[in-house]
Amino acid sequence: MLDSLYLTGWGAFGITLFMFIPFVVVFLFVIRKSSSDSADPSIADDSGIVRAEWMWLGLVTLVFVGLNIASIGYMPTVATTRAVASGQDIVDINFTAESWSYDISEAAIEVGRPVRFSGKSLDTMHSFAVYHPNGKVLFTMMLMPGLEGPTSLIHTFKDAGTYTIRCLEYCGLEHHQMLDEIVVVENNG
Amino acid sequence: MLSATKTLHRIPVFGRMFPVDESDGLAEINSWPALMIVASFIWLFIAFLIGVAMPLIQRMGLDAELYYRAMTAHGAALAFPFAFQLMAGISLHRAGGCLGKPIKGWLPAAIFICMNGGAALLAAAILIGGFSVSLVLMYPLPIVGMMTGQWSYSTLVLAFTGIGMVLFMMIVFYPVLILKMSFFGDKREDLILSERSINDPGMLGMVLASLVLLIMGTPLLILATYVLVALYGIIPLGAVAWFTQPVVFQFAFFVFAHNLMEAMALMVISGIYAVLPLYLRDGTRKLYSDNLANLALWILLLTSFSSFLHHFITLFPNLPATLAYHGNVMSWGTGIGAALSIFTILATAWKHGLRMGPGLMISLMGFVLYILDGASAIVTSNVAWSFQLHGTMWQSGHTMTVLIAMSMMWMGVVYHYYPVMTGRALNDKLGYWFVWLFSIGTIGAALVMLAGGADGMPRRHADWAQGNWMIYGDFILLFGIFMAVALVLYFVNMMKSRQIEAVAESLAPTE
Repeated sequence: MLDSLYLTGWGAFGITLFMFIPFVVVFLFVIRKSSSDSADPSIADDSGIVRAEWMWLGLVTLVFVGLNIASIGYMPTVATTRAVASGQDIVDINFTAESWSYDISEAAIEVGRPVRFSGKSLDTMHSFAVYHPNGKVLFTMMLMPGLEGPTSLIHTFKDAGTYTIRCLEYCGLEHHQMLDEIVVVENNG
Repeated sequence: MLSATKTLHRIPVFGRMFPVDESDGLAEINSWPALMIVASFIWLFIAFLIGVAMPLIQRMGLDAELYYRAMTAHGAALAFPFAFQLMAGISLHRAGGCLGKPIKGWLPAAIFICMNGGAALLAAAILIGGFSVSLVLMYPLPIVGMMTGQWSYSTLVLAFTGIGMVLFMMIVFYPVLILKMSFFGDKREDLILSERSINDPGMLGMVLASLVLLIMGTPLLILATYVLVALYGIIPLGAVAWFTQPVVFQFAFFVFAHNLMEAMALMVISGIYAVLPLYLRDGTRKLYSDNLANLALWILLLTSFSSFLHHFITLFPNLPATLAYHGNVMSWGTGIGAALSIFTILATAWKHGLRMGPGLMISLMGFVLYILDGASAIVTSNVAWSFQLHGTMWQSGHTMTVLIAMSMMWMGVVYHYYPVMTGRALNDKLGYWFVWLFSIGTIGAALVMLAGGADGMPRRHADWAQGNWMIYGDFILLFGIFMAVALVLYFVNMMKSRQIEAVAESLAPTE
């Protein structure tokens, strides 16, 4: 369940609705009730409101902390560190981005084998976003020109197929044409 | 000296919306704010026309260059001469009426000229010179675009001159005027509408926001000034090499841009804290707790300073993971401030009851939209989700929603102050029609854009057909039409406003 929550944009959308819908229902209910002619503000109980204040703050803190702690295992930064620490054999893919194309090094990318993507921009801001064949964004990397080191990330593919690369940082009049592909094959080992 | 009232009366069509009443002796706190509000509405009108055109350009398969020009013009018009200028106008009126200080001298004139003149120069560079760099410049794209022949050197200079003028207005002139009114000058009893101290939650946010703009914007202003001076050829470009490095410019830009949004949020929440008590049914005119309200503002202020780092999470490891986590935590911390604001508003309404009116309802629905935006913003600031959402339509949805939400809250405040500023009354029925149509349009458009982002739809992208994302564009257009109709009603309401005496006379027989 956590996979579908943290590994897709739809999980993020669901969490946004999870926070927004209860809020909007309660907010509009309270506003409507407070504006009603039959409501008598004088009967509001102060101690009840103070209790509600602490409960609300506790609930928000719990939800916020819970969601963020549960996300740690899904952070690409953490996955990258773990992959390096595990001593696994990592495939290196180096690339450069320049308006409006990529130059990607050749290497066999196999399912289940970690791949380290390292890239630089040669002119303006670009990104390197990897789209799963089903259209979902797996991850995006921001490429800022002029930096000494590359932007770098380790990812382990779970499915074979042709993955689309898109630039998601607006980079000029042909930005939408800045596309490429990488192919991931089954691991026969 | 530029006369605000005369200028206002000379503006065709829109000038009729805010006929400042000079007979009540309050022109010194009404004229400049009214002129700024009217100018902001003109920019809003332009931004909406361009905004509706964007999905149409994609649907009709028109030139990508046209789309990118529209995208840049839409974002720039919406963010600065509309949203910021609307805030400047209404907050200056509030400062004047709460502190008893006139809005006069060269500073308000400089604010008005720099914002509108700068925005006009930028618009000319976009529409005539093809300067297409998006709302956030995407530095070093302005320079690279010139070097690759996408636009000319003179277009670049024109655009940067406009941007420089807008920055001077936002970072220097406006905050200095607010701070000057808050701490200096003699109070005039005849100008006081509702006296407040700066410790009042309704004023605290205004002062904090001004300090944030001044402090967090100064590095960008220095940097932009050096670059502009070099572009004019006064100093060699090589002399500003450090300033023109992308990493330097990008960080200075986002330190300001992020805190600009937070400053505007501080300002508008403060505005809600000021207006809400005026609508309480038991007449107490008090928030549930001033301390809780102020705590929310302080939390928002302190957490927002460094949460700008979430803009660079996907730059890893160039942005060290520790800083990415810091940006993550601080961003969610702003949510705690928002949670306290939610509680303050609801507890105030519950405890004291509300006399509902369209002005308050507009502001409250703007607050609902603001919370939707806040939820989407903290979600995308989480490191795990940021890697999937950064650069998608989710981000555009967030930016548009936060600007519209804050503007909607201000439009409610404008509705509230309108009779004071003009001596005229608005039609409540039209006011409520605006609330519901605008709420449907804005919440609908926000959810569609977030859904588009969740589905991988790129932002600032001229080919939505590439990934079957056109359906999201169609829904954005649909909800955009709701917003456009609502805005027409809002403007018509002001144009058809009637003298308060006349309204009172027409109501007298039935009361």
